[in-house]
Amino acid sequence: MPTLTIDNQTVIVAEGGSVLDAAIALGIVVPHYCYHPALGAVGACRQCAVTILEGSQKGLKMACLIPAEDDMQVSTCEEEAVAFRAQVGEWLMTNHPHDCPVCDEGGECQLQEMTIGAGHGIRRYRGNKRTYLNQDLGPFVAQEMNRCIQCYRCVRTYKDYCGGEDFGVMGSQQRVFFGRFKDGPLESDFSGNLIDFCPTGVFTDRTNRFRTRSWDLQQAPSICPHCSLGCSILPGGRYQELQRVRAGGNRLTNDSFICDRARFGSDWNNHPKRPREARISGEKVEFPYALELLEERLEKLVEEYGGETLRLLGSPRASFEANLLLKKLAEKYGAPAPYYDAHPRRAFAARMAASIPSGQLASLKQLRESDLILLVGVDPLAEAPVLALALRQAARAGARIVALDPRPLELPCDFEHHPLTQESLLRGLSAPEENELLESLRQQLETSQRPVLVGGGELLGGEGLRLLLHFSESCCGSHDCLIFPVLHGPNSFGGGILGATGDSNRNLIEDLENGNVRALICVETDPAIEHSEPGRMQLALSRLELLAVFDHLPTNTVATADIFLPTRTIYECAGTFINNEGRMQAFDPVLEPGIPIVVTGSGGHPPRQFETTPPGSAPRSAVHLLQWLLKDRNDLFGLRRQIIKELPCLRDLDRLAAGDNGRRIADCGDTLEESRTEIWAQEGELQVLPITARYGSDLYSRWSQSLTSRFEEPSVWIHPVEAAERGFVNGQKVVLRTVVGHFHLPLVFKAKMARGRLIVPCLPGTPLEVFTPGGLSLPCKIYSEVDNA
Amino acid sequence: MSIWRDIKGTIEPFWITLRNMFRPVVTVEYPEVRTELAPRYRGRLILTRDPDGQERCVACYLCSAACPVDCISMQATEAEDGRRYAAWFRINFSRCIFCGLCTEACPTMAIQVTGFFEMANRNPLETVWEKEELLVDHCGQEPDYNFYHHAGIGVAAARGENPGEDKPVDVKDLMP
Repeated sequence: MPTLTIDNQTVIVAEGGSVLDAAIALGIVVPHYCYHPALGAVGACRQCAVTILEGSQKGLKMACLIPAEDDMQVSTCEEEAVAFRAQVGEWLMTNHPHDCPVCDEGGECQLQEMTIGAGHGIRRYRGNKRTYLNQDLGPFVAQEMNRCIQCYRCVRTYKDYCGGEDFGVMGSQQRVFFGRFKDGPLESDFSGNLIDFCPTGVFTDRTNRFRTRSWDLQQAPSICPHCSLGCSILPGGRYQELQRVRAGGNRLTNDSFICDRARFGSDWNNHPKRPREARISGEKVEFPYALELLEERLEKLVEEYGGETLRLLGSPRASFEANLLLKKLAEKYGAPAPYYDAHPRRAFAARMAASIPSGQLASLKQLRESDLILLVGVDPLAEAPVLALALRQAARAGARIVALDPRPLELPCDFEHHPLTQESLLRGLSAPEENELLESLRQQLETSQRPVLVGGGELLGGEGLRLLLHFSESCCGSHDCLIFPVLHGPNSFGGGILGATGDSNRNLIEDLENGNVRALICVETDPAIEHSEPGRMQLALSRLELLAVFDHLPTNTVATADIFLPTRTIYECAGTFINNEGRMQAFDPVLEPGIPIVVTGSGGHPPRQFETTPPGSAPRSAVHLLQWLLKDRNDLFGLRRQIIKELPCLRDLDRLAAGDNGRRIADCGDTLEESRTEIWAQEGELQVLPITARYGSDLYSRWSQSLTSRFEEPSVWIHPVEAAERGFVNGQKVVLRTVVGHFHLPLVFKAKMARGRLIVPCLPGTPLEVFTPGGLSLPCKIYSEVDNA
Repeated sequence: MSIWRDIKGTIEPFWITLRNMFRPVVTVEYPEVRTELAPRYRGRLILTRDPDGQERCVACYLCSAACPVDCISMQATEAEDGRRYAAWFRINFSRCIFCGLCTEACPTMAIQVTGFFEMANRNPLETVWEKEELLVDHCGQEPDYNFYHHAGIGVAAARGENPGEDKPVDVKDLMP
């Protein structure tokens, strides 16, 4: 690790670090634009000039391009370098428009800061400014090319890092332009990163256009709730409205990048129908009254019929603390251990993932550094988009990527796709030595240096993950073969840890149906949407004597609950999530709960009267509500200390701080012995597989109005050969008959998907919302509309 | 001694009154008579319009950031033509200290001080002024300045048609 001196201050930088890294570590401001820690240096902007006094290359140099050396002497304040930087700053500003007041970047603009830092203040150039015509880049990103300083960061972000293909640099000389060849929405699922990475206001957030300035935002480090990866994010809001989400900077997980679902799918928090008042049988009441009534009714029920008749349902959406308190509530009332996912197969997958020894779990960072990645039953762009980015970084560094999946996978990198059906995948994993493909892959995994197996919990289920774990053990040669399970929700893994000790063979829906259960408490979950058979669940719920729901989303179950208590969202309270790699990460509250001013003032002036609601009537967090029921007076820190006593594998929980890199759990115990018999369909039968759509399948994007433009049209996908055998043509309207109903859908040909299967993406607000991803494929029949008639 | 002091104390005020009765009057009979204010007197704030009659305020939030007593709040929004303006703009004059820092921060000359100061009333809520009350239909100072002619975005004129701008470049042109 080289030790060098900059402006008479000595600093040690990591191997391979540059002089600019060293200066940043010391807090010395050297203006720069094209350099970014995640993208590296290209030396394009010429802004970071410093003078090297002692070293192998002496004189005026670009700090981002000069590797730090031992005993180097660097000065940032030599007259020549200062004049050079001021001159470059002035050049870069010759065409920059005078529009900071109407630019959303103003206040957090690197160009503003660095221009002043470079020493340029007063414009001397009197010539005309260059102008551009802007492009319409869709609903997420707004472009204003006049502001561009040609640092090339956007192309390096969008094309090089994120693998987008519809954006690039055009033109020559003074006409250099960054955009698409034609107007149109950006196709990449990571287009929002342009907003973070542009050092000035060329690319700004269209969903948050003109709404706020950075200095007015309330911000706090948080964790993205959209998938199981637990990317660090920095949400910001104002006037009780969550307004934007930016990427956080956890180098071990998402490394400054997030997907568009995370960035633009946060307005569910401000949903106009979000339930904010406690209700008893649909009537609005004060929340202490509802809480007291709930306690009274629970006690009466337990006294009369025993705790066996009470069931509790936690959720991968709820914080780890809330899920743990639910377990304590079950103990208090003598009820069976809670469920942590309404979907039994997903819950089993989470339990299985949580039982993988923590040393065998890969992190996203390890995935980026891997040399052979085998994706088994996982569609990264739909289930965990930032995983696709990590795969691309591995591929750029020379890794080979092999995918076994029935879906027509798309990835932002080169990969080998074997479209196997879900059943043949599971069958292959159960006897890999008989499968030629898996056997050859096993040999390759053995010989590679840092292999990672990525397993999708949705397609494989717990049984598949268990088989995958055995498969990985069989190909451990001299090194570990790491596993990266992809789960359903931000706290699925945490639910898996808590659920591991419970009796896993219980079946919630059957208990509900045969009347063994009289009361159900759902914490931040809607079983009528999330269970594998939503229709059946809805019917079963209607037979309950007492259905108590704690939630913040406007689901149907909230409307039909006997006792409903509103909860705070993750942007309004603190807590912990455990992501799919077993990393505990804390999040902090961003806003106080309340109706956004834009709603109370209906877009105009906020109302002028004083508060009409009594203080303290705002929603409480699920943790607070459960603590009230348990008469537990610990604060969050005390609660975490208590958790550590009970679950020693979470021993670092009390050292977590929001915005840090999180801490991995230690081994929680032995690998789960649980196994479950699944009846896998035979090849040759036509089956339909419901899958997660890229937008809309998770509950948060379902209620994000800004994402609706990215929702797909409902359709059923088929392999062209399969279609030809049945005489169907592309785009034809067909009738799909399944056990959950029949659907009139257009047929879409997908050449890269598995044969013998139909695929339907689960989309909210369409007839396809009755399907829930995460199950096995269902038997079906398909007819053309004419035949059906 | 004290009796002489008391007598003096009784007579002296009469003497002062008598003496001042013949001096010129300095008191102004407000409100019948108005005094002349200093030319840079800082009274009530207004939101002015640009020479085209459009609102000058672009709701950039700089005045609210500069305000030392946080009496300005607003919400920016976008018009159909891309013009940024304030959806609502509120000044709480019961909090305002008339320091004029907002007018110094304003990049578009929209918020300006005037010589008007008669805003006292008995209802505190009436000292909170909304945009409709703040907006005037003249340019105030700097009558020729139109921010959108210098901003380089195509709102007041098409892109490239404002003073000091070249026509938009043809990005597909490869000529040297």
